[in-house]
Amino acid sequence: MLLIKIVGGINLKKSFMFIIGFMLICSLFLSGCSDEGEKSSGSEISIGVILPISGNNATDGQDMLNAMKMAVDKVNADGGVLGKKLILKVADDACDPQTATTAANKLVSQEVTAVVGGYCSGATLPASGVFENAKIPIIVAAANSSELPAQGYENLFLINGLVPDQAQTGADYFNEKGAKKIAIIHDNSAYAKDMADFAKKAVEANGGEVIAFEAINPEEKDFGSLMTKLKSLNPDGTYFTGYYAAAGLMVKQFKEKSVPGLFMVGDGSYSPDVIKIAGTEYASDLLVTATPTANFIPGAEDFVKDYKSKYDTDPGPFSALSYNSVNLLVDALSRANSTDKDALRKALKETKGFKGIGQEIEFNDTNSLNSSNFHVMKVVDGDFTLEK
Amino acid sequence: MDIFLQILFDGLVIGAFYSLIALGYTMVYGIIKLLNFAHGDLYMIGAFVGFTLLSLVTGDGGLNTGLLGIGMVFIITMVIVGLLGMGVERLAYRPLLLAPRLSILITALGVSLTLENSSMLGWGASYKVYPISLPKNGFEIVGAQISYAQIGMIVLSALLMIGLRLFIDKTIYGKAMRAIALDQTASSLMGVNVYRIIALTFFIGAFLAAGAGIMSGVYYGTINFMMGFIIGLKAFTAAVLGGIGNITGAMLGGFVLGIVEAYGTFYLGGSWKDVLAFGILILFLVFKPTGILGAKEMERM
Repeated sequence: MLLIKIVGGINLKKSFMFIIGFMLICSLFLSGCSDEGEKSSGSEISIGVILPISGNNATDGQDMLNAMKMAVDKVNADGGVLGKKLILKVADDACDPQTATTAANKLVSQEVTAVVGGYCSGATLPASGVFENAKIPIIVAAANSSELPAQGYENLFLINGLVPDQAQTGADYFNEKGAKKIAIIHDNSAYAKDMADFAKKAVEANGGEVIAFEAINPEEKDFGSLMTKLKSLNPDGTYFTGYYAAAGLMVKQFKEKSVPGLFMVGDGSYSPDVIKIAGTEYASDLLVTATPTANFIPGAEDFVKDYKSKYDTDPGPFSALSYNSVNLLVDALSRANSTDKDALRKALKETKGFKGIGQEIEFNDTNSLNSSNFHVMKVVDGDFTLEK
Repeated sequence: MDIFLQILFDGLVIGAFYSLIALGYTMVYGIIKLLNFAHGDLYMIGAFVGFTLLSLVTGDGGLNTGLLGIGMVFIITMVIVGLLGMGVERLAYRPLLLAPRLSILITALGVSLTLENSSMLGWGASYKVYPISLPKNGFEIVGAQISYAQIGMIVLSALLMIGLRLFIDKTIYGKAMRAIALDQTASSLMGVNVYRIIALTFFIGAFLAAGAGIMSGVYYGTINFMMGFIIGLKAFTAAVLGGIGNITGAMLGGFVLGIVEAYGTFYLGGSWKDVLAFGILILFLVFKPTGILGAKEMERM
């Protein structure tokens, strides 16, 4: 009675809004219920998707989801798996550890058969714990912190290369080009320092020599004296593991000082801004170690075309990996010949030479890639091209 | 020998930037005993205003505007930022001139944050690439590669500094500045308009910082809203090194710091550069707070 009086007392429009709002909230609960109802459906296999659909990283998350939907549609059009259709259940982790835990629990309660996704390492770490406890296999498509496999979870599979793989790719390329005297520069950030350490090990393991291991302050703009130092050391190759803003300036000053040897940067600098900052002339022949976007993967032309025609935009940096993650899952399901989680995990673990777009998947002891999916890109005429 | 000369030159280029910014620190300190921590941000604003004006002039395409157009942009930007420096003084510092020094110091930090964040809102948080860049050719002296752009940077900053020195030594306004630095009350009794001279000091400091800002944008090619922070700290170090409050000291301190950093990077490694710079700051603050040229404690400026 009191409620009605208050509501009525405000004005008719507001009370109407209130009722609509109330109905919306009710409908939320109802739809929640209907979700619960679907789980027992026997003609479908539900796959959980955990990705940042909101927040700063929503763009990449959406690109990944698009690719997953594409893969699912294709599988369903071909008759599904084990005679059943695939359906995706999407949960938003917003790249946030707490939201990710809630999202993971939601997927567990929806009794999904397996999970794909995982963009931010920070969010994927706690989520993977939830799935491990529930014994639900998860294929992580993008997140690649070396802390993920270090957890030793048996349900967690990573199909993106890790930091050591990238460092190895760089070191191997130098080795191939006969570059033995290598200078390594990082910017003191955790990621770049980590990669620089791995690169040092990899170069030395290849029989090369690290002639300089330097740090810069990425807030600064003048690397002139560092370049003078490099020049005096006469390196065959220089590897910078930091981010694009410093990389662009460094490339420019490297060339201005005419330091000899190759110049390579890590995936933190895989951005057109590097070319813009350094200028097309100086950026030419710049090398980048990165997981290439689908546009550069040989054999991905159809994927890129389909993606473009369906979503009217180019695939994002992790679209191909996301597409692969769903197809790998489908492959494992048909090999396991069951939706039983133990059988599925076993099948995933036993994956041998699965051919995805731009990568061949096989897992090592820690359920991460047996081979690196990192490539070396080269700047030619102001644009990235695939070098190796 | 060639390496030695090359490093010296690297140090002179970065030192020129430090000197120009250190001048603003030292002038303001000399007159009102304020460490204006917002000074590095005026350098940043200078780079951004120059960026906007140059983009207008060159029409975003990097078209050749000729030296006259660029020179005009240079001067207009310096005047705009100079006026901004005066505005900051009028709004944030003048009401606190008689308050304890700590209040005004904290205000300076507040001004710094305000400038940084408003330029982030205005120009965005990402790195901007300058619309023009300097020609890349140069020459060789005993094996050291020196570009005309580097020579230009050093000459330009030297000219600005000599101009300032002349202004302070030879003009009536310079005399008034020196008088206020000596004794504010006595100057005001002698008929010097103290507030006007303080405003003028801020104008000149911001004017020079803006000059350094555009030069940095043109020379290095990128700017972003945080670029004033670290160089502000380095310039402060340079000012202390030379003897804060002393104009010649600030110039000297800037060049010395730049050269020390360059040699430090070469002989100790890049990671030691900042340790070296701020280590020197601490040593000077502890053992010789008056700096290299700060002995004439009585006659600042």
